[in-house]
Amino acid sequence: MSAPSRFGVFAVTFAAAYAVLYVLAVDQNWALFTYHPATNTFAPLTGKAPAGPSMYWYGWMTTAALGAGVLAALVSLLPAGLTRRIWSGVAWAVPLCVIVVFAFLLKGYFLR
Amino acid sequence: MWVTLLIVHGLLAFLLLGAISHQVVSAWAPSHARRGNILARFSAVPGAGYVNAVIALYIVNASFGGLIYTLYRISARLTLEQGRFWKTFGAFELKEHLVAVGLGLLPAYWYFWRSPAAEDHPRTRLMLTTLLAFIVWWGFIVGHLANNIRGLAT
Repeated sequence: MSAPSRFGVFAVTFAAAYAVLYVLAVDQNWALFTYHPATNTFAPLTGKAPAGPSMYWYGWMTTAALGAGVLAALVSLLPAGLTRRIWSGVAWAVPLCVIVVFAFLLKGYFLR
Repeated sequence: MWVTLLIVHGLLAFLLLGAISHQVVSAWAPSHARRGNILARFSAVPGAGYVNAVIALYIVNASFGGLIYTLYRISARLTLEQGRFWKTFGAFELKEHLVAVGLGLLPAYWYFWRSPAAEDHPRTRLMLTTLLAFIVWWGFIVGHLANNIRGLAT
């Protein structure tokens, strides 16, 4: 990137880090909290539902957002000489790769 | 209440679809034609003017979807499983992840459209907009497919 602002560095790093952390959170079930829709209750981390299904989606997004936010904030504090070398395309290329990974992980539903 | 939420969700999705479609076409095929055919007029819009609307609609729509998703999880999803609608089921699972990935794109999407410092990165702006448009279209179509199987208030 040429002369990116601190927010520009943050935004590019966040887009890439969030996508990677999200797919890792889904694969490893790193949910910061769990929602139980049948009982309308929340539990920390991946708590088991007292009744009905457990929903981790909100927890996965929270995990990814917090992790990516911290990482992007740290990267945006680096000297401009370093951050200038970050390719702006990682903001779309990494999320695109993550989408392909999800399509691969879910391919079983489409091949039945 | 759920039916009302679902209808509002669909209407907001329609607005979002219109905004992002105009923007992505104007980004791929910029046109300054004020007259001419409908495609030229469709693309002759100032793309940057749509950014805040797209972001606001995306966040509000994802929030509505996230709320309705709780009911989907304990009712409609069972219908898809029991009816063995595996392709729709998988497409909806993918929609869930695409929408989540799309939320992470929004700060960069805003930056590359609105910041003067990002004007020399047209390809990044184009690709971010295209990716977001793909996510919105996927969500819109799959949401309708899943809803058509389950039906309203059944």
